[in-house]
Amino acid sequence: MRFHPINIVRRPFRWAVSAASRNAQNVATAAVQIWANKGRSVLTTLGIVIAVTSIITVISVVQGFGNYMTNMVRGYGTSFIVVHPWYEGERHGHGMREPTLDIHDITAVRGECPDVRRITPFVFTHNAVVSYGREKAEEIPIRGVAEEYQLIRNFPADAGRFFGPVDVDNAEPVAVLGRTLLTLLECDESIIGDYIYIDDTRFLVVGLLAEKGSFGDGDQDKTIMIPYTRSIRMYPDRTRSMSFLAEATDEDHIDAAYAQIQRTLRQRHGLTVEQPDDFYIERQDQSLQSFEEIRNISSGILGGIVSISLLVGGIGIMNMMLVSVTERTAEIGLRKSIGARRRDILLQFLTEAVVLCTFGGLIGVALGYGLSKLASMHPSMVPAEVPWWAVAAALGCSAGTGIVFGVIPAFKAAILNPIDALRHE
Amino acid sequence: MTDGGDHLIELVDLHKHYRVGTEIVRALRGVSLAIDVNEYVAIMGQSGSGKSTMMNILGCLDIPTKGNYLLRNQDVARLSQSKLARIRGRQIGFVFQSFELLSRTTALKNVQLPMLYAQMSNKKRRAVAALEKVGLMDRAHHRPNQLSGGQKQRVAIARALAQEPDIILADEPTGNLDSQTGDDIMRIFDSLHAEGQTIIVVTHEEHIAEHCHRVIRLRDGLVMSDERRGRRIPIAPLPGRAAIAEAVAPPMQNAIAV
Repeated sequence: MRFHPINIVRRPFRWAVSAASRNAQNVATAAVQIWANKGRSVLTTLGIVIAVTSIITVISVVQGFGNYMTNMVRGYGTSFIVVHPWYEGERHGHGMREPTLDIHDITAVRGECPDVRRITPFVFTHNAVVSYGREKAEEIPIRGVAEEYQLIRNFPADAGRFFGPVDVDNAEPVAVLGRTLLTLLECDESIIGDYIYIDDTRFLVVGLLAEKGSFGDGDQDKTIMIPYTRSIRMYPDRTRSMSFLAEATDEDHIDAAYAQIQRTLRQRHGLTVEQPDDFYIERQDQSLQSFEEIRNISSGILGGIVSISLLVGGIGIMNMMLVSVTERTAEIGLRKSIGARRRDILLQFLTEAVVLCTFGGLIGVALGYGLSKLASMHPSMVPAEVPWWAVAAALGCSAGTGIVFGVIPAFKAAILNPIDALRHE
Repeated sequence: MTDGGDHLIELVDLHKHYRVGTEIVRALRGVSLAIDVNEYVAIMGQSGSGKSTMMNILGCLDIPTKGNYLLRNQDVARLSQSKLARIRGRQIGFVFQSFELLSRTTALKNVQLPMLYAQMSNKKRRAVAALEKVGLMDRAHHRPNQLSGGQKQRVAIARALAQEPDIILADEPTGNLDSQTGDDIMRIFDSLHAEGQTIIVVTHEEHIAEHCHRVIRLRDGLVMSDERRGRRIPIAPLPGRAAIAEAVAPPMQNAIAV
């Protein structure tokens, strides 16, 4: 053989072209074969269709539910930190002094932490008794806060007004009610400008909070907000034991704000290096992260369980392919006698299985998409969302099923003896 | 005949044994012969004579148990499965009794099929040329079920021709055709031979063998006779007639046996 430089360049190119043309030929042959046995192909691929449909539907509903929950947590606000006057976990040991957190601590944090944008004291009372005229509501949570609370927690008043800095400074007996209170006290928005009693103190209702809905089993609208200065007057023992909310400048600076608050408070409380924090810092973004984790794990597990049906679908495919190999023994013999190698035959039948499965997968994706849209139309259902990765995974898995369950029939075809195959009628 | 020269095909003491259940069938028991380029050979013999086995080995569908098969001086028995497939694709063109066309594919695509496996370029041009050679270009886009038996066999011949093989190997090519159509098919082989093509026809029909210039008769796995005839003489002189008598007699015995 002589040395031809041009051939060296052209040969790989030609090989690539011919490989591509053979693969295209295989796909075309597979399509012709599948079309020729329309009824049988559809029945065979039904397993895959059902599997993929259920995978897509389940994942989309779980994701949709997750998005709903995430948005709710987001609405809660994620860039703030809550600091409580207690030890973290079980660290409260003997000989430790009672933790304290007062307005001076809060003022210090406000002054010394550059990454804290807003801050509000937070004096929370679980179960106050509220009365309005003859109506009475019990176990109402009262939040004693500063006016910045509504910005940090995204909790604006949509009727009347929120109380302002002057109300807070003067400890005015003014209250902003959550919407649930209207139901409990059997009144409407005309309550603004009227007086209610909270644990026997008279308050002027100045506004109503915008509706927030429920989160978990807590009704966020069942609350009353009053100036924290007034709370302290009502419950004087809370003066040295108040929590506070601090909002970081943005979500990326939560870590910095956390560190600054911790340093400031430890300094003020005169804690040595060995002593644990005598306060507890709670981060909202962490609960969001762990929530997302739970969501992804649960959709993975559910998807995995449903994937078992892919296995069943795959067995159907294998059965059909085995029948097909037997039926087409003569064709395989012919192909071999005119130069097809084992790997050509293997690839042909494998392609056929993969095309069949992917076809089933596509139908499944379409059906799943339709089903999740249909599910979203139900009034008490959250809007389901089909994530792109679920579509990719479903199609990938169905093609993979084709490979796994097509291998045995394809191999059976590939190793057929051409003489026997040709003689087979 | 086995003089070690440069023949297209050279068989040296070829044996083929099969195992059928516990019994060993000796289909070929030491065949030696040589075939040169542009020969037109008929291989004849009754069923069980070993002619099918011989055809399978010549076509590289099977390898001999013992002995050598040299195709262009290359020992086929030592080759791997994929090398054998390559030889089947490039050096040998098969024509079968039952045509063996892909039923859902047009004539043109059927003719292109071997070239696809052989990774040849200009597939379409070659396929068209081959179909023109067998006079079937007007049926290029028909499917096998739209073609008559003779037309199907012509497509099969075109398929065998398209990659320009060293040998065309035809196994009872007229077996499924009426005698008129069979003659037409044989005339195509005649003209291919006239263009220089090497052709081997396996048949049990004497009038088919008459088209060939050399007739090799097998019996019980051995070459019984190997005779050459002049060009285009319809019926050979005496030795040929004796052969006819011999060839005709065994089926009658069979008929009695059945």
